[in-house]
Amino acid sequence: MTQLIWNGLFVGSFYALIALGYSMVYGIIKLLNFAHGDIYMLGAFIGFATLSSFGVIPASMSITALLIVLLLTMIITGGIGVGIERLAYRPLRNSPRLAVLITAVGASFTLEYGVSAIAGPNPKVFPVRLQGETFDVLGARISAPQIVLMAIAILLMLGLNSYIQRTSMGRAMRAIALDSKGSLLMGINVNKVITWTFFIGSALAGAAGVMAGAYYGKIDFLMGFIIGLKAFTAAVIGGIGNIKGAMLGGLLLGLLEAFGSQWLGGEWRDVFTFAVLIAFLTLKPTGLLGERVTERV
Amino acid sequence: MKLRIPKVVTIAAVAATILATTGCGGILGGNDTKTSDSGPIKIAAVIPLSGSSAPTGVYMKNGMQMAVDEINAKGGVLGRQLQFDAEDEACDPTQAAAAANKAVSNGAVISVGGYCSGATLPTLPIFSKANIPMIIPAANSQELVNQKLPNVFLINGTGTQQAAAAVKFMIKDGVKSVALVDDNTSYSKDIAAQTKKDLEADGGVKVALATSVTAGESDYSSVVHDIMGANPDMLYWTGYYQEGGLIINQLKAAGYKGKIMVADGSVDASLIEISGGTNADGVFATMTQTPDTIKGAETWIADYTKKFGSAPGPYSTQSYDAVRVAAEAITKAGSTDGTKVIAALEGIDGFQLFSGPLKFTPEHTLTNGGFQILVVKGGKFVLQDTLS
Repeated sequence: MTQLIWNGLFVGSFYALIALGYSMVYGIIKLLNFAHGDIYMLGAFIGFATLSSFGVIPASMSITALLIVLLLTMIITGGIGVGIERLAYRPLRNSPRLAVLITAVGASFTLEYGVSAIAGPNPKVFPVRLQGETFDVLGARISAPQIVLMAIAILLMLGLNSYIQRTSMGRAMRAIALDSKGSLLMGINVNKVITWTFFIGSALAGAAGVMAGAYYGKIDFLMGFIIGLKAFTAAVIGGIGNIKGAMLGGLLLGLLEAFGSQWLGGEWRDVFTFAVLIAFLTLKPTGLLGERVTERV
Repeated sequence: MKLRIPKVVTIAAVAATILATTGCGGILGGNDTKTSDSGPIKIAAVIPLSGSSAPTGVYMKNGMQMAVDEINAKGGVLGRQLQFDAEDEACDPTQAAAAANKAVSNGAVISVGGYCSGATLPTLPIFSKANIPMIIPAANSQELVNQKLPNVFLINGTGTQQAAAAVKFMIKDGVKSVALVDDNTSYSKDIAAQTKKDLEADGGVKVALATSVTAGESDYSSVVHDIMGANPDMLYWTGYYQEGGLIINQLKAAGYKGKIMVADGSVDASLIEISGGTNADGVFATMTQTPDTIKGAETWIADYTKKFGSAPGPYSTQSYDAVRVAAEAITKAGSTDGTKVIAALEGIDGFQLFSGPLKFTPEHTLTNGGFQILVVKGGKFVLQDTLS
């Protein structure tokens, strides 16, 4: 039981990190960024490439090397996220919403098969693997790498939360989410804020990618697809567009999956997850923390 | 807008015409080569050259190329040279069907490919329709046999034979309870289901858990949790090495102390790499013979290494044998005609393969499956038990 809760929370923290980017972008420009899961994949591959270029890393240095690579990857994937917005989304900002949605799918495939063409279609083994002690906590086995990764995820999420709540950029983001035209009239540089939103969201997804690579050890070019859909589900559960909702939704989805697959069997995990998505979209489309809005997509 | 619609229709019509004519050309071309009795004899192999199973596909391609070169150096077959054509199927049914169609329209007279059973399955009717005999070196799901197609021959043990070998080893090793986990692919489910059936019929070993996972994910904590809960003496994983490596890694992290055995789809160096460090040490595997475990294959291994610059991997010997069997059958038939070659294949008795003398059962499978048990030691698969 405690093991299930822990497993769920651990996987959930990955979902939450990716769901944040989904939710932020949706909140601000009402776009479901389907390329977001692939930014996660890209993060894993950039981490792989930079770590491989370091040569052999002694085991004692692996955490330090990983943190450096994590920061580096976040900056690069953040930049790529901004680039995608410029090239694929901004020219279509005044087009019907469906056009942007289709472009997002196109951007997703471009990233997937671009990586496949450059790095090859075969799965890669991550050069650094987090290893460490395991502890028994209330009957659940918890390993040191899991704690480290959870801690990084929580720190990133808390950092983002205070950034949005406390800084002027965060205030501008919230203002645009409420009323984009009104914000423009009040003198907010809307384009700059959207750029920042993409940067932060993509950086978080890239961080999740590096962390997944270091923990699971195997990366491949399609790894972002399912997890992207799951992050979307998490965002919907929490209330899409809501930052706290994305975190809650991620953790909750992890728990739902852990208990659902225990109850129905492992092969039913994804069926269960996406059935939850359908249930939420039909019964409570605003999610748990989302507010009732007059305009629906 | 009104003007545009006819334009689109015209373009579509032109495109359709082009496609149709090229398609016809392909079929006509295929017929031409089949009736012609001169020029090279085309041998095709639909194997994974990209995707998750690509490493094995390359071993297979090399093994086949080696046999083709050897036969050509000795003057070829029926006085004609062999021409080898490897088509990529990426372990994907859709790509496999496209690759098989391409091979047929290129004028192949015999097929020596087949690795992923799920991808090989849709190629059977394509080759069958063209009356092209297939000698499958690696794919071994019982489903392939169940199609009962006259042109399909397996020179590798079937899932049923693999399950029998697994059960034999479990009993021999004193295992009392087993967890069976497959990855929902045709190949994997086949072995798991057959193993379960055999174990239940035998009654000595309890099936503590039988479940499936979804391939292509990273987190297998739920199946790991189930296995820990069932607490079996042995886990038998019947899927491929990608997920196998992850499951071994996550099982060890969860503190699993029991034994682990994997099926032949997981026998690859990548399994050890993905599982991380020494986690795979002591993992058993049910496997047909690899070059490393065959006595008297030393010269062959040396030749292969010299030719391709790396040691031969799994299924290179079976692939080498597939081409040799194909050449033997065409020689015996005295023609490349599908029906005659199939009759010749059915008549083969005692042709020497790496796995022993060849004679097909009425189902077109090996009389002797030739499965043995390997174990991971020092980061490599080595022979544990020949089960004989």
